Amino acid sequence: MIRSLATAVAALCLVAGCGGAPSSGPVGPGPEEAAAAVPRSPTGAGPQGRVPQFVVECRFSHAASDDPIVHPGHTGASHLHTFFGNTTTASGSTADSLARGGTTCDQQLDRAAYWAPALMDHGTMVTPTKAVAYYRPGVGVDPATVEPYPFGLMMLGGNPHAEEPQALDVMAWSCGTGSVRAESPPDCPEGRPLRLAVSFPDCWDGERVDSPDHVAHMARSRDGACSDSHPVPVPQLLLAISYPITGGGHDLAMSSGSVLTAHADFFNAWDPDKLRTEVETCLDRGVICDVASTRS
Amino acid sequence: MSNARRLMGLVLAGALLTAACGGDDDSSSDDAGPSGSQESATLHVPDDYPTVQKAVDAAEPGDLVLISPGTYQESVSVKTDNLTIRGLDRNEVILDGGFTMDNGFRVAGADGVAIENMTARNYTKNGFFWTDATGYRGSYLTAYRNGDYGVYAYNSTKGQLENSYASGSPDAGFYIGQCYPCDATINGVISEYNGLGYSGTNSGGGLTIVNSTFRYNRAGIVPNSGSYELCYPGRETTIVGNLVYSNNQADTPAIDVALLAMGNGILPAGGTGNVIERNLVYDHDRTGIGLVPFPEEDANDVPPPPENDTRPCSETVNDAPADPADIPDLVIWEPRGNKVVGNVVEDSRLADLALGSVDDVSQLGNCFSGNTFTTTAPLELEALAPCEGDGSGGDWTAGALDLISLMTAVQPPSGDYKTSPEPPAQESMPDAATAPARPATDVPFQVDLDAIQVPARPS
Repeated sequence: MIRSLATAVAALCLVAGCGGAPSSGPVGPGPEEAAAAVPRSPTGAGPQGRVPQFVVECRFSHAASDDPIVHPGHTGASHLHTFFGNTTTASGSTADSLARGGTTCDQQLDRAAYWAPALMDHGTMVTPTKAVAYYRPGVGVDPATVEPYPFGLMMLGGNPHAEEPQALDVMAWSCGTGSVRAESPPDCPEGRPLRLAVSFPDCWDGERVDSPDHVAHMARSRDGACSDSHPVPVPQLLLAISYPITGGGHDLAMSSGSVLTAHADFFNAWDPDKLRTEVETCLDRGVICDVASTRS
Repeated sequence: MSNARRLMGLVLAGALLTAACGGDDDSSSDDAGPSGSQESATLHVPDDYPTVQKAVDAAEPGDLVLISPGTYQESVSVKTDNLTIRGLDRNEVILDGGFTMDNGFRVAGADGVAIENMTARNYTKNGFFWTDATGYRGSYLTAYRNGDYGVYAYNSTKGQLENSYASGSPDAGFYIGQCYPCDATINGVISEYNGLGYSGTNSGGGLTIVNSTFRYNRAGIVPNSGSYELCYPGRETTIVGNLVYSNNQADTPAIDVALLAMGNGILPAGGTGNVIERNLVYDHDRTGIGLVPFPEEDANDVPPPPENDTRPCSETVNDAPADPADIPDLVIWEPRGNKVVGNVVEDSRLADLALGSVDDVSQLGNCFSGNTFTTTAPLELEALAPCEGDGSGGDWTAGALDLISLMTAVQPPSGDYKTSPEPPAQESMPDAATAPARPATDVPFQVDLDAIQVPARPS
């Protein structure tokens, strides 16, 4: 298959220093090796068209002080969350109950629950516009090795207890889909409203869908590789939440504390066949299946 | 010749025939298809396989998937090269997404896949979609009520979209994006009741739109540029011999860009080196043919210098974008080096021919010659910017295009794509039941551009 040949040539040429780009196959970027010259971050969305991906856009669903990962079964026990995707997410949600729920996502077979602490402005919740979920290989990870998340996987992105700015590769604020990423919310011009980008770990231990602290079963890849303790590469989810916030005069905080504590949660209830199809068709084969448009 | 020799000849011929038809072990168990290939099989839906997806999954490169009339509630993913996927009747083979499924067909990274003679409707994203494909063809396709595009090729080259119909998409009926050179032809299509009749971001180079009709959309033909995808800017789309009229439709589904472009016939936005010739363009609230900038608020890069215009996409995908700190809040993609020649443009309420920009529009190398028209913005546009010889050196500001009011005008909001008009029956492919497989390895088909005349008004 021409694509694998191009990958092999590109890989060899990176090592041996051949001249010119792989000449066969489509003019597009193909596997990541061919675009190794351009660095990217797990929280950087664009420009798209270089990295294989599938993308789901989900409108805001509901807000509640519920958290089925951290406070399962305890309604109202958590800080206020804004939920996207699954319309039924609540403290008692299970993977099976989510699988029976509806979704605000433009991909009807994505019944996963996505949520984040509510953004507060002068103490009042800001109703988010939408969340865009980009599913891509981890940076430098061989796309052909990525496997789908297990059904019911729970993931946390970012640190709810952060007192220092988190790494920009983990959590970043920007204006619109522009490429400037900041540690705290910038002043955004009209037409480029505030956006929070949170990346999730991309290596799974292969055994547990959750862990006592809710993070130990996942890890982040390093230099394109997953460690022995978390050997299974899964898609790296980038969740980008847009808020109708522009201009100055805002007094922003998260319901979890300062804006430094921004984080996000993911509870997998994708239809398993559809998720497998997306991972195998798009990520494993290095294909760009969706492009999130800035032109809504 | 002697009888002995003739007998010898017959025996020999017989032996050769037997060998060629492969009576032994590893030859394909399928018929030698009419295409001449020994290995081309025909897979029938539903007779051999109950669903289109199952047939596509079983098919091997070169095979023909033949679909009988019926409604198929499927979203079909194609990963095999060189398939021909064909409906027996264009209007009666229907893929229906029920407004819950994403794409009718998604050809993902498979080369040479041709899809023909069927309808795809009611998908939340696209009717027919090719991505990362080298070689693609859509013929005798009908796409309507699909939430992004009707017929869509992304990051793909060597394509042919012909004799097809698309309506009821908020973005565009037909779209080819992120390729240079694209080597693709759109020929003989009808696109109506969409946001945009045609759109293409960052595409061009051997990209030809001919002999087609774009009408009753918000705007007709809108190639454009932007840095939210790669391969910018859009350049060298050739638009010849099209019928573009009455693109003022206030109730179509429409994304933001379509609302912005409403009331224009052919409107390259931030495009470079496009050639617009011998089209018939009439009845538009704003411009018939307008070369305008595209202002990008959420840019990921700045426009590359003009020296980069000839660099192919396969190279520029490896260019690192500008430092975010160096990207202005508003990036302007200018109209540069476009040629507007020999068109007949009538009945445009603002201007038949228009050229506007943020910066000094006289220095951008656009030209207009030999058109039939009444009004231009600025005035005397053909004298100011002829394609041959020197411009008059006259006043570019007299009667200039008022871009600000165009871009700030409030337009009627988007209609619901799910209830956009149902199209009438469309012309089916001849010989669908008997024509051989024809993978998209011989595309695009050559067009004699010089032979194309300005089309006549429909009666």
